[in-house]
Amino acid sequence: MNYKNRREFLSLCLKGGVSMAALTSMQLKAMTSLATPAASAGDFKALVCIFLKGGNDSFNMLIPQSGDPLDAYLNSRQNLAVSDAIAINPTTAVDGGIGLNPALSPIAPLFNAQNLAVVSGVGSLVAPITLEQYKAKSAAIPNNLFSHNDQQSTWMQGREKESINYGWGGRILELLNQNNNFGSNISLSGNNLWQTGPNAIPFAMNKSGITRVHAYNNSESPRTQALRQQLEQMFNQASHPLAKSYSDKLDTSIGNTEQLNTALESASEFTDVFSDSNLSKQLLAVAKTLSVQSQFGVGRQVFFVGMGGFDTHDDQNVNHPNLLMQLSQAMAEFDGAMSTLGLSNQVTTFTMSDFGRTLSSNGDGTDHGWAGNQLVMGGAVNGGEIYGSVIEQALDSAYDVGGGRMIPQVANEQYFASLARWFGLSDSEVLDLFPSLSNFNQTHLSMFS
Amino acid sequence: MRNLVTIALFLSLFACGGGGGDESNPSQPQNPSVEVELSQTARKGQPVTLRAKASGVGTINKIEWRQVAGPIISFEQTDSLELPITPASNAELAADSYTFEVAITNDQQQVTRQQLSFEVKRAMSSAQAARLLHQATLGPKGSEITHATGVSEEEWLSEQMQLPITEHLPLVQNYPDRDEPNQINRIDAWWKASLNAPDQLRQRVAFALSEILVVSDSNNALRGEPEGMAQYQDILLKHAFGNYRELLEEVTLSPVMGTYLSHLGNEKADEALNIRPDENYAREVMQLFTIGLAELNQDGSPKLDGEGNTIATYGQDQIEGFARVFTGWTFGASARWKRPSRNFTIPMEAYSDYHSEKEKVLLNGEVLAGGQSAEDDLSAALDNLFNHANVGPFIGKQLIQRLVTSNPTPQYVERIANVFDDNGSGVRGDLGAVVSAILLDEEARQTSGVLNYYGKVREPLLRTVQFWRELDANSPANLYFTWSLNDSHGQTPLGSPSVFNFFRPDYQPADLLELGIVAPELQIANDAALIGQFNNQYSNFLWNIKEVITEPSDKRILLSMQNHADILELQGLEALLDYYDTLFYSGAMSTAQRQTLREVQDIYADWGLYHQVALLLFTVSVSPDYVIQL
Repeated sequence: MNYKNRREFLSLCLKGGVSMAALTSMQLKAMTSLATPAASAGDFKALVCIFLKGGNDSFNMLIPQSGDPLDAYLNSRQNLAVSDAIAINPTTAVDGGIGLNPALSPIAPLFNAQNLAVVSGVGSLVAPITLEQYKAKSAAIPNNLFSHNDQQSTWMQGREKESINYGWGGRILELLNQNNNFGSNISLSGNNLWQTGPNAIPFAMNKSGITRVHAYNNSESPRTQALRQQLEQMFNQASHPLAKSYSDKLDTSIGNTEQLNTALESASEFTDVFSDSNLSKQLLAVAKTLSVQSQFGVGRQVFFVGMGGFDTHDDQNVNHPNLLMQLSQAMAEFDGAMSTLGLSNQVTTFTMSDFGRTLSSNGDGTDHGWAGNQLVMGGAVNGGEIYGSVIEQALDSAYDVGGGRMIPQVANEQYFASLARWFGLSDSEVLDLFPSLSNFNQTHLSMFS
Repeated sequence: MRNLVTIALFLSLFACGGGGGDESNPSQPQNPSVEVELSQTARKGQPVTLRAKASGVGTINKIEWRQVAGPIISFEQTDSLELPITPASNAELAADSYTFEVAITNDQQQVTRQQLSFEVKRAMSSAQAARLLHQATLGPKGSEITHATGVSEEEWLSEQMQLPITEHLPLVQNYPDRDEPNQINRIDAWWKASLNAPDQLRQRVAFALSEILVVSDSNNALRGEPEGMAQYQDILLKHAFGNYRELLEEVTLSPVMGTYLSHLGNEKADEALNIRPDENYAREVMQLFTIGLAELNQDGSPKLDGEGNTIATYGQDQIEGFARVFTGWTFGASARWKRPSRNFTIPMEAYSDYHSEKEKVLLNGEVLAGGQSAEDDLSAALDNLFNHANVGPFIGKQLIQRLVTSNPTPQYVERIANVFDDNGSGVRGDLGAVVSAILLDEEARQTSGVLNYYGKVREPLLRTVQFWRELDANSPANLYFTWSLNDSHGQTPLGSPSVFNFFRPDYQPADLLELGIVAPELQIANDAALIGQFNNQYSNFLWNIKEVITEPSDKRILLSMQNHADILELQGLEALLDYYDTLFYSGAMSTAQRQTLREVQDIYADWGLYHQVALLLFTVSVSPDYVIQL
């Protein structure tokens, strides 16, 4: 068939209204939504990962309020200590009280409304480990601690590096048979390991939303159709493995982009809901996509958004509050958008980061650390609580391997398992996906009912 | 051009009485002599004539030529003082040595012989020249391929390495109407240098180095320091064929690097305040700029311990040791430590009061005693890094990946690492020797067998550079204000999102996992970026034709299609496709690709010539065979 009004055609395809027999293999490839059983709206769930690139000084998101914990904090943090924290009252009280960094003020109401939880003292771990074991190397230590790209990979993989590596975001889609449609696996931050599985690759969406393909704009012109046919044939002729990898990708990118454009034409605009930061723009694109979620006919979606700049070796007192303000602003905006869409209970947003940072200062910044805190947001979250373990921010404590690099008391795999279970994985699937869990006496946190 | 012609002449004269000549014969010629010379520099596969000049031999009766040494060349006896030959055009890279002899017999049956030994240099075909220039320039123009055709690879490299440096800093201009230049002005300078520099090999190597020794002004304060950024590029250019140790030192002392990885202004510990030295540069100079995380064999593979695990090159002790080394440095020409000059274009200087007096644990068990000067500590620490056995395979392999192929064989890596260790004269770290070895290696030149996954994906930026160079891209204001390269190309020169570059050398897209091969550049080939590039190429070619746009705005970058349109008009489509075959596909354009281009031209045959050319160029630019640099 030719490309008569491609947009209408694709729109029909999205809704499953075109006979499969009428389709070329190329169109079939671009239309896999038909292969996925349509999910009822009530069963729909989405996970939104916000990756804080560079290693967030996330211990500085939770500020001790009084007594010994405050003294230890002021002593370790010195000129990087944060004051004027916003007091919060987690369900389980913290000794001496605890507050949020004032730059997180936009999400403080969400914590109080039990739509936001903190996971504290979390990091990459193979098994529980004490300071003595760490020093004596008598228990398993994660490889390449403190290295950006290696630790980012550990968070995205949910396991230690192997000869072939996949991410747990892509893997859970596969385990739930939700990986057949590009619309189930969308990144606003390019290619990433988290969303990559043996049969799952993220669709990298442009954060500005609808992206026309200039060369094919004039889609009704026979000339354009003929050009397109020539180019598609050329892409399919590639034989060199690297060339084929490139042209397969370009070929599906064009098809998927056109499908997404069609879907986004009826998306909510969220006028004046989101601010102008890069992260807000990414989350706006996620919100728009979620507003037309039913058009993809998928039961599960994972989204990946990224925010850089957290490697605050320098000027932390200026940079870190700005970063946290942008983060919390964007999260609060996104929470509002989900309420508007009525998807609060079905969409869970969570943070990951390379690692926490040193409690000690290098003068005006911090260096690569280990344990940290993460944020989880959504209507399904048992919010208003701090899960895990609030590690006292004291140097030379039983948790400090040096300079205030703190040993995690919760494995990031336990954190991931909690999210994966909510998403629909069985306990055995979770254990399979996160192999270190068997070394811990608890496989997950009680973040979800 | 030096050494363009080096013909070794070995003359030996044999004048002897052929057939038992009579010494007393009065008619015997006196002092017979013969000289032999070549009509021109001998090159493989190209005809050349041997010419004999005889004197004092008397009346010539017979002339006989024979080949004494070298690959056998068939030739016909001419009985002439001139012998046309065509040396074999075999694929071997090395020059071949030949010896020929002429025997001149006079009417007295006396024979005078003369030999000529000469070297036959390779003469690159246009396709071979194109392949080399795709690897060794930012993207060749047709005229550059023509220039390189007919000379050998060594000659071209040698010519390139001697060209003066085209620096970027002098090209940084202010915005019109502004006091201070900004990021866009150093990007403008990058384009001007990249498009116009004759020293293309140096520019390409420096571009490769900029993706290993990464600094970036994306989303940080360096955005406001375009002179410093351009000067950093000039450091890479300056040392592109120099020594890696000197490059490493100048990079380390660059205030741009000092700002980017925060060792500028880094102070010794203040234990009362729990302040330790900043570990940022200490970590990344090891992980990314010199040795990597794991001990390597000379062929780039990781060494394994008894349990099959990789062996870490350093631990926290070394991080802290090097962090102490990199204390006490701030902007050069500062009034004092607390009043920095903020001069981003001169090397940092040391202030001893802020330099750690403690001992410093380095690699391989070396420990610097406390109390040394900042300068001595730095010098010793950089020596310690530079002399680690990993540097050759670690840096060598990445340079191969940036210039030639994503998946070099271990043997190729080892050959290059060996050259890094010793350039043949006992010098370690000679980048000129390393670059030559990379480009002249049999694996780069494909003189023996071709792996089916050979080559690399071209970086999006370099694709555009080639088209813009070939088509003399420029704006009426002579400005290249490319504001959104990240959207249109997925990369910006010196604008990586982090010190880990736009892509990692070990990136594997999922569909290549089974083959076990990597494709670093595909890390930025995500959907959004691919559509961005697809659109950018289309708008570049179709909407910015210099010959069509009559009243362009000041900064609109236009491409000239005139030369290509002329070929199409005067010589026809096949001639233009022949030209594209060499220029864009190094002579390897497939039949199917050529047919696609014919069909595309046919679709638009009733459009103007410029638009026909534009559509052909767009098709080339997105064709899989062009996107791969073989």
